[in-house]
Amino acid sequence: MSTTAVVARRLSVGYGSRVVLAGVEAFLKPGGSTALVGSNGSGKSTLLKTFAGLLPVIDGGLEILGKPIGESSHRVAYLSQFHQSGFVLPLRAIDVVRMGRFDQRSRWSRRNREDDVIVRESMEILKVADLADRPLRDLSGGQQQRVYLAQVLARRSDLLLLDEPTAGLDVPGRAAYIDALSFERSRGAAIVTATHDVGEASMCDRVMLLAGRVIADGPPNVVMTPENLLETFGIGLTKVGDQLVVTEHHHDHDH
Amino acid sequence: MNHFIDPFLDNGFLQRALFAGVLVSLTCAVVGTYVVLRGMAFIGDALAHGVLPGVAGALLMGLPAMLGAAVGAAVMVGGIGLITAKSKLSNDTAIGLLFIGLLALGVVMVSSSTELTGDLEAILFGQFLGVNHAELLMQSLALLIVVIVTIFASRPFSLLCFDSDLTQAMGYQAHWYHRLMLFLIAATVVVSFQTVGALLVFGMLLAPAGVGALLARRIVTMMLWAAAVGVMSTYLGLLASYHFSWAAGASVVLTAVTIFFVVLVGVSVKKSLLGSRS
Amino acid sequence: MVPKKVGECVVFSNENDYHFDMRQNHARPLAIFSVGVLALFTACGGSSDSTGSTDSADSTVVGRPSIVVTYSILGAVVSEVVGDAADVKILMPNGIDPHEWEPSAKDIEALTNADLIVSNGLDLEGNVMEAIEEAESNGVAVFHATDHVEVIEFGAGGHDHAEEETHAEDEVVTADSVVNTEAKAEDEHGDEHGDEHSDGDPHFWTSPVEMAAVVISLGEALSDLGIDVGDRAAMAAERLTNLDQEVNKIVETVPADQRILITGHESLGYFAHQYEFEVVGAVIPSLSSESEASAGELAELKAVIEAEGVTVIFTELGTSPDVVAALADDAGVDVVELSTHFLPEDGTYASFVLDLASTISGALAS
Repeated sequence: MSTTAVVARRLSVGYGSRVVLAGVEAFLKPGGSTALVGSNGSGKSTLLKTFAGLLPVIDGGLEILGKPIGESSHRVAYLSQFHQSGFVLPLRAIDVVRMGRFDQRSRWSRRNREDDVIVRESMEILKVADLADRPLRDLSGGQQQRVYLAQVLARRSDLLLLDEPTAGLDVPGRAAYIDALSFERSRGAAIVTATHDVGEASMCDRVMLLAGRVIADGPPNVVMTPENLLETFGIGLTKVGDQLVVTEHHHDHDH
Repeated sequence: MNHFIDPFLDNGFLQRALFAGVLVSLTCAVVGTYVVLRGMAFIGDALAHGVLPGVAGALLMGLPAMLGAAVGAAVMVGGIGLITAKSKLSNDTAIGLLFIGLLALGVVMVSSSTELTGDLEAILFGQFLGVNHAELLMQSLALLIVVIVTIFASRPFSLLCFDSDLTQAMGYQAHWYHRLMLFLIAATVVVSFQTVGALLVFGMLLAPAGVGALLARRIVTMMLWAAAVGVMSTYLGLLASYHFSWAAGASVVLTAVTIFFVVLVGVSVKKSLLGSRS
Repeated sequence: MVPKKVGECVVFSNENDYHFDMRQNHARPLAIFSVGVLALFTACGGSSDSTGSTDSADSTVVGRPSIVVTYSILGAVVSEVVGDAADVKILMPNGIDPHEWEPSAKDIEALTNADLIVSNGLDLEGNVMEAIEEAESNGVAVFHATDHVEVIEFGAGGHDHAEEETHAEDEVVTADSVVNTEAKAEDEHGDEHGDEHSDGDPHFWTSPVEMAAVVISLGEALSDLGIDVGDRAAMAAERLTNLDQEVNKIVETVPADQRILITGHESLGYFAHQYEFEVVGAVIPSLSSESEASAGELAELKAVIEAEGVTVIFTELGTSPDVVAALADDAGVDVVELSTHFLPEDGTYASFVLDLASTISGALAS
């Protein structure tokens, strides 16, 4: 395992020549969990995609697992935000999870016992082992999401890049997700999640608030002040007990 | 029993037609499964129609029709690539216009030439009964290529069916494999259109694989179902052409599509009878 | 206000004057346009009058009369008869399939402005019949060649013979009209296959004797219209009679039991009738090249080939070479190509007929 998970220096990311997020500095260590927090359009998905090697770096430097972009893909697991095909795909849940192992062995070697054990374990953690034979399209949204998470787990990667991983999950689903996260962290993997869920973010080691630029970066209780949240989301939020409460609207905030 | 076997035993041209149909069915089963899983029906159709001017041009120049079809397919694939990369219009519209434009161009070329009289129909509807040995050879070769490439690319192809971003994130060059898939579709169309016709080859790509997607959950099983439906449609279609004097190519495709709709109804009925179990 | 010259108009560039100037700017082109449109209408109106009265030929035929012929073979014969007495225009280039050809706007214009239209009739030129009928209702004289011919029905050209029944439900059969499946009237065949050819076989030009009859009637029609061709019609008819003799000599070499024909589509009926051949089948059993073969029809044809001892399949316009090759391969017969709808290189009808006769005889006599 390398000594760093993600190193970013004055990083600008976006699409083509259009910069969506600029000036990102990050130094993420293995075993830690980081949340990229912002509303839609803040650049958090774009940043995650750039980490995953789906978008080229526009400016600045980026290293993933100690290597340039794209060279460590077999040690990285990416979960995208949208899965359009889920509702029509007749493929079985277990085969979808197995796809996570595709690049872990050479093209010509077939699935082996180790793969099967890993796949089964991952599905059990996410509580979808009993859905193994069901076609994906027959599952509910929450069940599908857990299957995708099981696929991520099956990669046994060193860096997880998850875009809105709890979307569509119900309460038991979230519990399974948390189990999955602890499992990965106990393996020493670094986790980066992009989320707009502030509650979820506050459970991570570190939070980066994003809105076209980095508003704040650090431990959640330090960073998630009402002022910062106002700037990030355009609405004032205060933590009251377990909940976040809207306190004011920021009219001329533009995303 | 005689009515079902004798026509083939007695007539060499029917045997060749059956063999050609089997080859086309097998090739279309493999490629068609990916077309259905990836929702590429529209592009597949566009490719099938867009080859017409290539074929017409080749025939006018005295070159083999397949060569023209290959060039036409290359132009279509290139055009589709350009459109999806650059266009601000919805892809559907642009691709649709591209292939209709090429189709119209092809019709103009054929109908204004004095040499290609009657060829328009042959190109559009195929000559199932006129398959010669050279064509059978090309079809066998195409089947071989399709199978080998599919085995080679099976993992990235499966991944593409699921999520193209994931494919890229896992280190496969997603757009490269996508183009490879387009190439396979094009190759299938190019070798199959002389048998079933440019208008109908698309039916052979879609209907049998559609049945596979309804009945199976694993890619290989889908392909097997598709192959079975394709071969059965060929056999029954040729039989119908023999007994009822129907046009051969259209009978085969009609059979395949009918099988698809029968299975679709059957699956829906079964689902509603059994209720939904979660 | 500063006057500026914009083209021919002087424009005053002041806001107040703007609207007024716009109207002024529009007025002149509008006037020119209106005058132009009126002029166009008068011109059109004028020309349509002139084609209306062709019956009084002397007063309206200006310069050389114009005769429009639909297709090439008929055109060659008409040219021979007419000579310099009129302008003969042939619509379809030699090589286009008359069954499928569609007229362009220019072609339709030629038809409406003609003094005489010569067509084959019996729906050979299916896609142009409407335009011809339209022209006829506007007063253009129309000559249908097949009106002057002894029309053969679909499927004629041979005597009946029994053949093996190969399958239970037969819609379609060989050229021979008597088939041993019951409950199918003769007329039904024609209607099923050629909604275009329900009245009879249009391919009369394969018999020079019929062509001679047409030529004589054509001569009469021309003189009725005041087009003087002297004795060219009679001379042409005589040449055609000689042609008939020559053909007889050529086909003499074919023994009687070999005089059976299988063609691409049903186009040799008149030839067969005249020279005592029998058309026993066609790859596309219809009078038009537009239909397609099915496995059932091919299998039946193969049965006929075997039953009759046919040695050659004659392909022609619209026959798929691949399908015929497959059938020939299977049945063990030769394939010979015939030109039944196109003129040969020298463009004469005589060569056309002689080529046809010698190709057929050559293939069958061996």
